[in-house]
Amino acid sequence: MLKVLITFLLALSFLACTKKDKQSGSNEYGLKNSETLRIVVDREPPSLDWSIATDTESALITNNLMEGLVAYNLKDPELSLQPALALKWTSSENAKKWTFKLRRGVKWSDGVEFTAQQIVDSWVRLLSPLTASEYAYFLFGIKNAKEFNKGTIKDSKQLGIKVSPQGDIQVELESSMSYFPYLLTHSSTFPIRLDLIKKHGVNKWTEAGNHVGLGPFNLKVWEHDKVIILERNERYYGEKAKVKNVLGYIVGEKSTALNLFDNGQVDAVKDLPKSELRFLAKKKEFIKESMLGIFYLGFNVKKAPFDNVLVRKAFIHAIDRNEIVKVLGAGEVPLKGWVPQGMFGHNNNVGLAFDVAKAKKYLNEAGFTDLTKFPKIEIGFNTNENHQRVIENVQAQLKRNLGISVDLKNEEWKVYLNTLKSNAPHMFRMGWVADYPDPDNFLNLMTSYSDNNHTGWGDTQYDHYIEEAVSVADKSVRKLIYQKAQKILLEKGASVFPTYSMVQTHMVSQRVKNFPVNAVYQFLFKDVELEKAK
Amino acid sequence: MSRERKRKLITSVLSILFAATVLLNFFNYEVPTFLWALDGIVLFGLLSYYIITQKLVTYMVKRSLEAAVVLVIIATMTFLLLRIIPGGPFDQEKALPPEVIANIEAKYQLNEPVYMQYYYYISGLLRGDLGESYKYVGRSVTDILAETLPNSIQLGFYALLISFLIGIPTGVIAASKHNTWIDNLSMTLAISGVSLPSFLVAAIFILVFCFSLNWLPPALWEGPEYYILPIVVLGIRPAAVIARLTRSSVLEVISSDYIRTARAKGLSERSILFKHVLKNSLIPVLTFSGPLIAGILSGSFIIEMIFAVPGMGKHLIQSVSNRDYPLVLGVTLIFSVLLVLSNLVVDLLYSFFDPRINLS
Repeated sequence: MLKVLITFLLALSFLACTKKDKQSGSNEYGLKNSETLRIVVDREPPSLDWSIATDTESALITNNLMEGLVAYNLKDPELSLQPALALKWTSSENAKKWTFKLRRGVKWSDGVEFTAQQIVDSWVRLLSPLTASEYAYFLFGIKNAKEFNKGTIKDSKQLGIKVSPQGDIQVELESSMSYFPYLLTHSSTFPIRLDLIKKHGVNKWTEAGNHVGLGPFNLKVWEHDKVIILERNERYYGEKAKVKNVLGYIVGEKSTALNLFDNGQVDAVKDLPKSELRFLAKKKEFIKESMLGIFYLGFNVKKAPFDNVLVRKAFIHAIDRNEIVKVLGAGEVPLKGWVPQGMFGHNNNVGLAFDVAKAKKYLNEAGFTDLTKFPKIEIGFNTNENHQRVIENVQAQLKRNLGISVDLKNEEWKVYLNTLKSNAPHMFRMGWVADYPDPDNFLNLMTSYSDNNHTGWGDTQYDHYIEEAVSVADKSVRKLIYQKAQKILLEKGASVFPTYSMVQTHMVSQRVKNFPVNAVYQFLFKDVELEKAK
Repeated sequence: MSRERKRKLITSVLSILFAATVLLNFFNYEVPTFLWALDGIVLFGLLSYYIITQKLVTYMVKRSLEAAVVLVIIATMTFLLLRIIPGGPFDQEKALPPEVIANIEAKYQLNEPVYMQYYYYISGLLRGDLGESYKYVGRSVTDILAETLPNSIQLGFYALLISFLIGIPTGVIAASKHNTWIDNLSMTLAISGVSLPSFLVAAIFILVFCFSLNWLPPALWEGPEYYILPIVVLGIRPAAVIARLTRSSVLEVISSDYIRTARAKGLSERSILFKHVLKNSLIPVLTFSGPLIAGILSGSFIIEMIFAVPGMGKHLIQSVSNRDYPLVLGVTLIFSVLLVLSNLVVDLLYSFFDPRINLS
């Protein structure tokens, strides 16, 4: 009997082994490597419903499947806007009323015509309290939008969004907003097809097979937690994508992604682990690009001794940003101002520089003559290897330069967020990545009424500047206003210590040409070309 | 046909049936539904036959009721603990305006008192509805589990299979060659297997089998060649534990009186070992197997991350950091059900292997 069993098993194994006569040069999904860009998607995209999604991986996929009214001109270092579904746009004198003239004859991937109503549908859906979208606030600048989201206004017709008889989109805002068109680069404002949502149901319309888009690619396969495949959209109105497929393996662990890269199974790995940068930066596949994001330390100005501005200034003067950047080693840019490198308004001539003598002088003036009796200070940060390296360096510098010992306290991310809201430590680490490439996005953060300002600091003059700047259309005037605002924030108030401007680092195979890296972190694959294997 | 031959024939047919399922599955063939059904019916039939003939029906009913109570307690505790830990599911770096938070809370009924939320949860559970994930918007917890658990079970099953296939024979051989170099070698290996952390073993194996020998891919879950490394790495530790348990247990049984009797009767060493010693030596291994089976089948976070296996293990950890309440509850319950079931099966097997243990 045993013999029969063994023979049977052997036969079966043999059969199984011969099953796959995989064509060489293609992968498990039957896609030819020469036509397929293979990337790593860092985690399962939480949602491809662009009214709902908020994270980078969902945005990465959606931005290749869809388009909005306007798009970034990624070739322009100032990141100006270029037409997408809107051909042109104009605003009233005070930037309060906007008109978007739409492109005609554009078709969705299922052949249905793109209309202005689909934009209105999308914005109403984004703002509807029933959708409960986190990014609803993106459009709070539109007239009555906030009340509509709150539920105090029920009728969507009262929103400042209209379709003109010519089929243009007309928007009326609550107040002037010179950067309004920039918001429309964001996927949450892309047009939407209510008929599809109705047909497939609110949870299933984003699945492969149901998903329909206006972008250069279509969603071909989405095996949750495993793989996503995009396929060229032949109905795309613009220049068709050069690469036929994009295959995204969902791989959560960076070292695993790098193993796949080394083994030639993927062409690109985004956001390299900092611990391996020293090694990876030497390879020819390594690429680096600035990113519109900042890392900063905040002071809780409600807690002694940081209720005294002199002490805050002393601490800022005592920390050398260059040393921190060296510890990190990815080429981060030391940041003295509050606006990241690569964005207009960036200025490293404001703010307080490293100067130990000044630091000691300020402490003396504040009455701390004997630094051994300096009160206990705690620096908080969320558990993360890179943050830890920065904070430990700050701790060492304070000890070395001022002789002050500080305690470090790390907490799990959500616990940390809770701590910041309820009782922020003396000093804490935080970061901000741009939602739209405008300084307002960064400076607004520190207004006295901002929910993201955990320092407890506020200044009415500062608030006033920020409000004034958004209503000004002239960039050079705005620049000056932002300059003044940063002086108040960083020199007068000294409530934050901007540390560095973020960078992004990737590994991209040599066979990939035009891999899209840009400061706004948009990975648009339509221009990618693959070199033929020799 | 004699009774003995009939028994052998049935055993062989069943073995072929199971082996076919296992192999088809391993080599990425579509396993026909009828084969799955047949496997299920046979297993269930055997179990029922055993329960009925051994008069264990009342025992099973009692155990099932106990299990239900345990599950309700676990669901309640998890529910409460999630509400106690600081940080909520929608807390994030960029603070949201109050209107937006109010809408989200209303959508997920988080604005209601905790006892009402508990009521909704338990009543959903009774209807078999585990709710919708907060993080993966639009995906029900049932969908997530249905998509990921099979991969974890597949990985876990093979890992268990090889850990038993390697562990038990190694233990038996080591014990029968007590204090020889074979014994020393296998126990040294076993101790290394127990003490080396799996991420280190994984790294070494990837280095050797992927980058030096170029035999196997370093990650992904696309077919047999992809399965081998994660299965072996996951299986090593339990194999080592099982080997050590088997060895010490065999050594203990070998020196008992009834084995001396068997030897005195002049039975061959081989037949003593396999017919008399082994069966009784497996009790400690069984005890270890209950939690082991549940733990391995529900997915290993580390192995799944390292080898990019689309399994449930990562949700066990990540759902907690995301404070994705429904998903945490879902994976906890699945894990608990697996644990309760495997312990029950182990208890049944106790009485099968050692008739002195009377369950009823």
